Amino acid sequence: MTDTVELRIDGEDGREHSVTVARGTTILDAAHGAGVEIMATCGARGRCRSCRVKLVDGAVPPPSVQDTVQLGPEAVRERFRLACQTKLIEDTRVRPAPPKSESGYQILGGKAVTAAMALDSGVEKQPIVVQPPKSEHHQTSDLEEVLNALGTSVTTREVVPDLVRDLAAKLRERKGQLTATLFRGRLVDIEVGDTSGQVYGMAFDIGTTSVVGSLLDLRTGEELAAVGTINPQAPFGADLMSRIAFAQFKPKNLQLLRGKALNALNDLIKEACAKADVSAAHIYKIVVVGNTCMHHILLGIDVSYLGLAPYAPVIRDAQTIPAADLPLKAAPRAHVCTLPILAGFVGADALACVLSTRIYDSEEIRVMVDIGTNGEMVIGSRERLVACSAPAGPAFEGAQIRHGMRGALGAIERIAIDDDVHCSVIGGEAAVGICGSGLIEACARMSEAGVINASGALTRNVEALPPAVGRRLVKGEHGPEFVLVWGAESGKGEDITLTQGDIRQLQLAKSAIFSGVAMLQKEMGVAPDEIAELLLCGGFGNYVDVASAVHIRLLPEMPVERITYFGNAALMGAQMALLSEAEWRRADDLLNRIEHVALAARPDFQDLFIAGMSFGAPGRAGAAAEKVAVAI
Amino acid sequence: MSDPVLEIPEGWEQRAPEGWEWQTLWVAVEEGDHGYTAERVQQAIDAGIDPRVILDDGLFPGFNLQGDRFSAQIIFIPEMLITARAMKAGLALIRPLLAAAAEKPLGTFVMGTVLGDMHDIGQSIVTIMLENAGFNVINLGTDVHPDRFIEAAAAEKADLVGFSALLSTTVYYQKVTIEEFQKAGHRDKVHILIGGAPTSQEWADECGADGWGRDAMEAVKLARRLVTEQRASWD
Repeated sequence: MTDTVELRIDGEDGREHSVTVARGTTILDAAHGAGVEIMATCGARGRCRSCRVKLVDGAVPPPSVQDTVQLGPEAVRERFRLACQTKLIEDTRVRPAPPKSESGYQILGGKAVTAAMALDSGVEKQPIVVQPPKSEHHQTSDLEEVLNALGTSVTTREVVPDLVRDLAAKLRERKGQLTATLFRGRLVDIEVGDTSGQVYGMAFDIGTTSVVGSLLDLRTGEELAAVGTINPQAPFGADLMSRIAFAQFKPKNLQLLRGKALNALNDLIKEACAKADVSAAHIYKIVVVGNTCMHHILLGIDVSYLGLAPYAPVIRDAQTIPAADLPLKAAPRAHVCTLPILAGFVGADALACVLSTRIYDSEEIRVMVDIGTNGEMVIGSRERLVACSAPAGPAFEGAQIRHGMRGALGAIERIAIDDDVHCSVIGGEAAVGICGSGLIEACARMSEAGVINASGALTRNVEALPPAVGRRLVKGEHGPEFVLVWGAESGKGEDITLTQGDIRQLQLAKSAIFSGVAMLQKEMGVAPDEIAELLLCGGFGNYVDVASAVHIRLLPEMPVERITYFGNAALMGAQMALLSEAEWRRADDLLNRIEHVALAARPDFQDLFIAGMSFGAPGRAGAAAEKVAVAI
Repeated sequence: MSDPVLEIPEGWEQRAPEGWEWQTLWVAVEEGDHGYTAERVQQAIDAGIDPRVILDDGLFPGFNLQGDRFSAQIIFIPEMLITARAMKAGLALIRPLLAAAAEKPLGTFVMGTVLGDMHDIGQSIVTIMLENAGFNVINLGTDVHPDRFIEAAAAEKADLVGFSALLSTTVYYQKVTIEEFQKAGHRDKVHILIGGAPTSQEWADECGADGWGRDAMEAVKLARRLVTEQRASWD
């Protein structure tokens, strides 16, 4: 991999401009380097849409929340991005969007932006000047004077006692110059002086394996910092079920997990504030999404029965909770808002994905797939939405695979097979293992090359393979294995192999996703070619080679150009709910609109699941899966 | 580990009519061709071959081969299932004949997935394999309450009971169900076997089960061994 990329720009004069820049440079900076003026009215801060470009060639990176807010989902889908926000990761050709008659730019929330979101976080800061009560006859109080100064923006005059404990001194410190903060029409903070420019919020997505967060300016929608960490609960159970088992009927363990999650969130808040140089005391709203289990654990809700059929959640509705009750360290009376939960294994993260992908508003049928330990899928359009979850297990994260590992330095991520096997390794170092996306690609290439047959068995017909490939089929301790990297070249001092058992694990995992989507299609009565778009969400989707995923039947058989990587849709949904109360409330409406299919309770799912295990290529053994569907 | 091979029953020619061959049936069961399996078994019945011989010489070789391959992970759930179903199609024809010949089942096995768990595939494979091996299996399905296991074991005079659990959150109920058998005074009347992806021999020991099957084939072997030992101790 080189560290530079080429950007080609279709000029307005019909000429093509070209420039080579360091990888990671924004399109805007690169364009300016090439002498092409792209207007960036807001100062390259992602606050307007003047710098939008269409990506004509090359990979289209996942949209940032800014892209979605400014451009709207339609334009984002049509490969439009903000040049100031989009970093170049490979050679790319762009066409600057024609300047519209919209006088240059549009600040967030403008009505003209098709389907774009209005900024309405529910948090409002208002500088006020309040005269302290002057005469004893005057029947008033410090608080009443503050509330009166705020006028109609206050919808309830109730306050919590600790808000007013030190009001008397604050009021008199700088001649009554104060900044009042309101959340949903209720007074939540009073500060001395004018701090009305500092209004921040955090969005979090708590996953089983990782936690990501984003600090946003609630006035502009601008992302000020992005942070993330491994979920510190992981040592107490890698997958969802073992996490629940750890806390099941053991309140102390539940508290332990809860503490871990809270520490992680508080650390991330601190980190984000340090990065953006803002004070956590100005974070007034925090939106948290996550799967049902993570959601319940964070709120300290018993998850014992979440792990047992019928896997019912304890609560489903969206909640607003004082941050101090958890506690999360933000503004003293900040609020934590959660998104609703659909079912035991279709959590608030899935609702957030529906929110950000806007498939609820799609005219055509779209499918959203979040590939994870617990895969969540939603199919539908504005007419009807159906969701399900399928436990893929941790194979995609490299767990339960002999040489499996996370997508870190030393992990095999790309594989080619011609007259021998060639692996490319993250960081270009000697291979020490294989990550989930590498596993998918390995199986796709091995299946194409005839190393594994359609049923997933390593071939016995070694003579049919090129000699250097055939030699890689070896007998291991527990049966046949295929050597990806010989010990002499590996960074581990031993052969990096895929065992027959590894391939079986992958078959179970990929069939969970494949048959889950198939079940949704069946429920909706749509064939794969009737799906207008499949949106891959979640971190893993970024690394998966889509063609390989279709080849091994992890994703449905459909044209790869209709499969789009959408980015961290769950976090994006949380960001939207953070910036817009309307979006937050929309999630509640969606809760009533989305139908849930419980796969485990459906006998026809088993047939699909078994049939989905094969790699599907023609051949005698491949027919087995098809036969099962008939025989059952 | 060497590849499993087809074990041809010794002296099968002496037990079959002149010119008879089983080869095509072995392959039919191996490949899971249930139509042809049934057809071949019917021909054998019509030719007057002893049903026990049809079972041992005709059906088991292909079935055992696939079972061993399944244990070795050479074949996977889809192939094992179609073989099991072909076997079942053949068995359906000879089971009435075995019963008429007063052939007793190897034993009665009450099978189910524990409370809180909806997983069915694993235990249904084990069920078919046990039936094929000659057990009378009462399958209680999924999400089975301990009381239902106890009732069924008592009503059917079960020799063995099997608890399947596929979730780390439900293996707990394997232990609970065993404790309930204890409380109900039924623990000593049955052999209890457990299985499922999150289980292990250590877990089987910890929860007080009599045995653990790594996979369906091992479960069948274990069940067979336990009932044989039981018979031997009765003599």
